[in-house]
Amino acid sequence: MRNTWKIARWEILRNLTNKQFLIGLLITPLIMGLFIVVPALLERLNQPVATTYYLVDDLGVKDTLQALLPENIILEQAESGADLERLVQDTKASGYFVLTSDFITSGQVDLVYSDRNSQSMNAVSRGLTALLQQLRLNLSGVSPQELAFVTAPAQVRQVPLKEELEPQVMHLAVAGVFTMLIFFLIFTSGTMLMQSALQEKRDRMAEVVLSSVTPNALMQGKILGHFLLGLIQLGFWLALGLPIAIAFLDFPILEALKAVNLPVILLFGLGGYLLFSALFVGLGATMEDLQSAGNAQGLVIMLPMLAFLFLGPVMTNPDGSIAVFASIFPFTSSVIMMLRSGLGAVPLWQMLLSAGLLLITAFITMRISAKIFRVGMLMYGKNATPKEIMRWLRYKEN
Amino acid sequence: MDGLYVEGITKTYGSVTVVNGVSFHAAQGKILGLLGPNGAGKTTILRMIMGITAPDRGSVVFRQGSSQMEGIPFRDIGYLPEERGLYREARVLNILLFLAGLKDVPKQEAKERALMWLRKFGLEEYAQKKVEQLSKGMAQKVQFAAAVLHKPKFVVLDEPFSGLDPVSQEQFKAEIRALASSGAAVLLSSHQMNIVEELCDEIFLIYKGREVVKGDLQSIKARYGSFRIDISCAGDSNLPIDTEQVEALEKLDQGRYRYILREGVPPLEFVRTLPADLEIHALSISRPSLHDIFVRVAQGGASHAEHLEDRPLGNLA
Repeated sequence: MRNTWKIARWEILRNLTNKQFLIGLLITPLIMGLFIVVPALLERLNQPVATTYYLVDDLGVKDTLQALLPENIILEQAESGADLERLVQDTKASGYFVLTSDFITSGQVDLVYSDRNSQSMNAVSRGLTALLQQLRLNLSGVSPQELAFVTAPAQVRQVPLKEELEPQVMHLAVAGVFTMLIFFLIFTSGTMLMQSALQEKRDRMAEVVLSSVTPNALMQGKILGHFLLGLIQLGFWLALGLPIAIAFLDFPILEALKAVNLPVILLFGLGGYLLFSALFVGLGATMEDLQSAGNAQGLVIMLPMLAFLFLGPVMTNPDGSIAVFASIFPFTSSVIMMLRSGLGAVPLWQMLLSAGLLLITAFITMRISAKIFRVGMLMYGKNATPKEIMRWLRYKEN
Repeated sequence: MDGLYVEGITKTYGSVTVVNGVSFHAAQGKILGLLGPNGAGKTTILRMIMGITAPDRGSVVFRQGSSQMEGIPFRDIGYLPEERGLYREARVLNILLFLAGLKDVPKQEAKERALMWLRKFGLEEYAQKKVEQLSKGMAQKVQFAAAVLHKPKFVVLDEPFSGLDPVSQEQFKAEIRALASSGAAVLLSSHQMNIVEELCDEIFLIYKGREVVKGDLQSIKARYGSFRIDISCAGDSNLPIDTEQVEALEKLDQGRYRYILREGVPPLEFVRTLPADLEIHALSISRPSLHDIFVRVAQGGASHAEHLEDRPLGNLA
């Protein structure tokens, strides 16, 4: 265990003093931050600009129409017979339209535009529709109040049968973010572990290190080291990201954090990490370099992605049989169970079965990987074939 | 007796037996050279000693003082593998400290010794440099330092001299001698006979996974190398060939000849039989070098190796 710890410490120090790692540590939240901040900023910048439309108002409805339009759309009266095109161009208005007495019967208007601002044009269209309805109802003697009453949409409230099943948007959002974050960590840590095993081979250090520690200690040290590195990354990102998210997102994040089902996230996050880290470190030991990964190895690298196939079905029907299967199957359960626990209560038996299976699978994978690791680390110059790997599994241990 | 005991280790990969029933003893304070051509099984033997691969049969025992150690005494072993390398992007001193830490050397002490070794090899200004800035020879010195920094009782060096320039070779030889005289049991593998011949107290010659010869150098030479007598003489003298005593007469050069005597023929006795009027410029008596024995065995192929094995080796050790 002491040796495991020494290896872990070396892995951590080696990465923390490595430029690439540090750049990644900074760049990743920067990129993620951009995804949060830029849309929010754009949203703010995208405040509707005042747009002006000229109106030749034969019906005398300018004020009525103006009241039906959003504030940023300004109607300007124009004399009939004026050079409307000129006027629009000179004043940099957005367009013009003419309301003649025909409008009430035909409902037809030509909205002539100078710049195609679909947002304001749609607003004008909606305003004109409402105006048309009013005008026509006026003709048949219906009051605006009656009109509003008739055209009001139904107000549907979605009420769950039982109190605890109430859809918790907050839970879902936070579970979703955490699931993504933990998945991201599992995937990056797994890839880093694989590279660490590859590097050990590339730098021909495996034998030297193995003359001081057992292969198991080396493997466990790497897994522990990258787990702690992952936590450091997570802590760093949260410390950096939370204030930014709170400042820019219109969302009660601190409230939502309290609602997180922490034990489930910890248990399944850890289980998923153990499973995939064991898988990746063993995989690294079978390869010469990342570029030359064979088909079988490529498939294993994609294995953590499997959970994403189930995201759609799970979101639409969190208690359906696909969701239940995906939250119990060990190679998808870590991600899916974290997500499901955010979507609503998961039956205890499923939770226990899934956790048990995940941990057992992680344990078995560790054992298999340890066997592959101890042989693979000393193999130089080529990728191992599946046949060779099968043979390694049969080698006896010391 | 203290030291490393290897007893009948065998390793088979698939249908190929890479190491076949090899036994030897590396005594403390001595240097044992493991010799053999490429692919003879040297590295596999060393890896089995290091516990990196497990022998199918046989045992490896480290004995020190009265205690026989359980398993591999990681802290007391220094190992320089054949495949050399260091973490490229790490700093020299940090690697030395990390590896010494794995051997449980206290940090302060490890640092002092690391700097001492770097000074010894003239690399002190590289302590804070990254490994990728080192030349190949420099990196090999750092690796050597890493292997012996913790003052191991057992030192296992796989081809320690390969890739070194002559000056560095001398440096390594001196350090290896110093390790042995400080009481370590040194086991080194090599295919460079001349170095082994100078350095090792005992040798173990292996071919195709089997022991061919072992023992101290003089008794091996006595056993496998009959005397050879080189003569330089005037003109193309007609040298006599007494097949009773002489196995072969080789012409080395214009006026230079080599008699290879039959086994057990005393060289001085043979010299007396040379014609009295022979005009000799120079005459030397020597045993064959290890190189000659090695080549003979290696070229002789498996049948030769088996033939040698059948012979009683007597008490060589």
